[in-house]
Amino acid sequence: MKLVGKYVDKNGAGYVSLRPEDDEDMWHLYNIIQQGDLVRAPAIRRVQNVSATGSTESHRVKLNLTIQVSRVEFSSSGAPSSSADQASSPMGSSSAAPTTTAALHISGPMGAFHTLDIEGNRDVRIEKVDGWDSVALARVEESCVPGRGAEVGAVVCGEGTAAFCLLSQHMTLVTHRISVPIPRKASAPGTSQYEKAMARFYAILYDAFVRHIPYTSPSLRAIVLASPGWVREGVFNAMMVEAGRRGDKTLSKALREKTVKVHVSSAHVHSLVEVLKSPEIVAQLKETKFAREGIVLDKFFKMLGVDEMRAWYGPDHVRLAADRGAIGTLLISDELFRASDPKLRKTYVELVEGVQQKGAEVVMFSSMHESGQQLNQLTGIAAILTFPLDVEVVEAEEREAGEEERRQQETKTLDGGG
Amino acid sequence: MGRLLYELGRVDEKTRVANERGSSKAGKSSFSWAWELDGTVEERERGITMDIALQSLSTPQRQVTILDAPGHKDFIPNMISGAAQADCALLVVDAITGEFEAGFDRGGQTREHLLLVRSLGVSQVIVAVNKLDQVNWDPSRFEEICGLLRAFLVQSGFPSSKTSFIPVSAMLGVNLVNCTNTDASALSKWYKGPTLVDLLDKLEPPTREIASPFRLPISNVFKGQSSGTGVTGRICGGVVQVGERLRVLPGDESAIVRLIDVEEQSVPWAAAGTNATLYLTSIDPIHLSIGTVLCLPSDIVPLATVFTARIIVFDIQLPITTGASIELFHHSRDVPATISKLIATLDRASGVVTKKNPRVLTKGISAEVEISLRAGTLSGPALSARPIPLEPFSVNKDMGRILVRRGGETISAGIIVDIIS
Repeated sequence: MKLVGKYVDKNGAGYVSLRPEDDEDMWHLYNIIQQGDLVRAPAIRRVQNVSATGSTESHRVKLNLTIQVSRVEFSSSGAPSSSADQASSPMGSSSAAPTTTAALHISGPMGAFHTLDIEGNRDVRIEKVDGWDSVALARVEESCVPGRGAEVGAVVCGEGTAAFCLLSQHMTLVTHRISVPIPRKASAPGTSQYEKAMARFYAILYDAFVRHIPYTSPSLRAIVLASPGWVREGVFNAMMVEAGRRGDKTLSKALREKTVKVHVSSAHVHSLVEVLKSPEIVAQLKETKFAREGIVLDKFFKMLGVDEMRAWYGPDHVRLAADRGAIGTLLISDELFRASDPKLRKTYVELVEGVQQKGAEVVMFSSMHESGQQLNQLTGIAAILTFPLDVEVVEAEEREAGEEERRQQETKTLDGGG
Repeated sequence: MGRLLYELGRVDEKTRVANERGSSKAGKSSFSWAWELDGTVEERERGITMDIALQSLSTPQRQVTILDAPGHKDFIPNMISGAAQADCALLVVDAITGEFEAGFDRGGQTREHLLLVRSLGVSQVIVAVNKLDQVNWDPSRFEEICGLLRAFLVQSGFPSSKTSFIPVSAMLGVNLVNCTNTDASALSKWYKGPTLVDLLDKLEPPTREIASPFRLPISNVFKGQSSGTGVTGRICGGVVQVGERLRVLPGDESAIVRLIDVEEQSVPWAAAGTNATLYLTSIDPIHLSIGTVLCLPSDIVPLATVFTARIIVFDIQLPITTGASIELFHHSRDVPATISKLIATLDRASGVVTKKNPRVLTKGISAEVEISLRAGTLSGPALSARPIPLEPFSVNKDMGRILVRRGGETISAGIIVDIIS
């Protein structure tokens, strides 16, 4: 993404203009744009005119439209061109209507609804009603770092099934899935049915691979073949043979140089987490965000096993731990910041800022990655503490503190009454 | 296993010689018997069983279907599929010093296998202590292994009256069918018990749910010889007849039974407990896949995406938390799921609630949890998960058992209590 313009004053008021370039940028925008924001982007609107005689005439007008967001949607189709980030909106009540462009006076539809499709290479200006907070600004900064794209193409396969995934910094896209029925070996006399089915599976997989994994792209760092058992060996060999047979030199070169074969325990997409933990991949992708997320989440689960008192999750518990300055690493999912309730978002922003001030590490998980999905399942927020704290003891302390306060208030009112 | 089939006359001389020649050519002559059941090229090359193989044999009083299941940890899904169709377990352990220990120690596969088959409802087990000829038929070694395993079996919930131990040597063919040939002289000095076939002959078939509505979870789909699609599986309840129309779940399709094969013989009907092959017509094979359940159109299996289950947590390193992503095994199907709610921990013996809404489940705990199936993709907002056919344990025992695995390790087993949606 390119930062076209930015004006944010010290109170957080102001706007940011961005130019999205690829799929991942759309994901960033989806996380930046919130309910209530003012978004301005080029749009095409059908304008209807009613003449004096009552006949209607309609024509399309290209204009720059500012809308107040009422809902944001994200669809990832995998195909780069068709990705869309929609913001459908009422333009407020007509009195408080946000500014619209000059072109709009033709029809003057202030207060009308419009669904704005945000497209690649079209500038978009975002203005936040209650100001830009640190998390949103950090996200903008992060999204504009050039030369990310540490991308990995992964095929998670089992006997007869395969899922093609593309991993970038903030997203895991499952671009394609294959499922070929493979009869069990003992079914019919002989095993030819099994072998025929496997050969068919390899052929389908080859075609899908060529179509869905951008193996020629220089930004693709690795091609991962992951499977339980030995399917990945079979797949790799079959692909090499097929590439040789078809004389596809670029593919066989890419396969030879970039392929990493990783053992995982199941053929489901969620074993991608295991892929990211494997030493072969960690060595290659150490510094990338998604590898880091995987490692931190793993650390949290391990801590939960070793010392339950140092691994807490759930918003209330984590907040209690933060109050006590116990947090060493905060794991937080970006989904929490998409909360439509601005108050809720604010509390999370404050939490993150507070923890950062105390020198602790904050890892923001992308919920488009498997690790982020798992964190979402775990309430979306978790923390590894620097020293053990017992949840129940802390909760009891809180209750006591609450009662203490109430008692004081009671005495105060009594005093006041007396 | 191959040897047993040969001794019982299920394998002819020609196949045996072919296997022997083939395996010695591949430099794996010790696997010549295994090739009887390990049919695919890959299995033969690697010298391990990867998928279940189905064979039948008859002893004087019983008609036994043998499901040779893989032991390697990557192929546990296949093993579960096999064990879900079994009534009894035959565990073959290696008597060679160090080999048995490698399998039985923590991290070895023997323990996991026993726990798996027990949680899938198998209560009878025969332990065949193999390769005793390699330790010179030492009775103390046999006793040592029995002692270790017996303690573990009792602890895992196998009734001791239904477990039996037997020394064998498969390569030499000792104590499989008889104990009289020359190689067996060292064994017959101290062992006077039954042979393996005698034990198989005495296995008790469990009570079958014949009265309940028809259920058949498919474990294999293949193309029939002439027309139609063949499906194999064990009937979990009720009776099926040739010519009946069956509903295929999940999905909206139904099919007609053209033929029923049991033990390679065509039969007019089959009842609960049999491993049957059904040839179906008037259905596109696309709608049939491993894990699909066949049932009567009048009495269909409920489909579920969220359900509660009572589980026992195994010996695990990392505790189970809310939102833990798991793989759910039900018969031959495995689907990604999450433990969406920890409802309560239970007392293991009495089933009384000990703590509500626990934060984590650690090893050895018995608990009630809510499990939700996960949608297939990660992309964006939750897409709805595809429901799978399930039934509470109280309705149909065979259909109500589940296994939970995570990261290649079986973490718990349980029964379905209630289907929520």
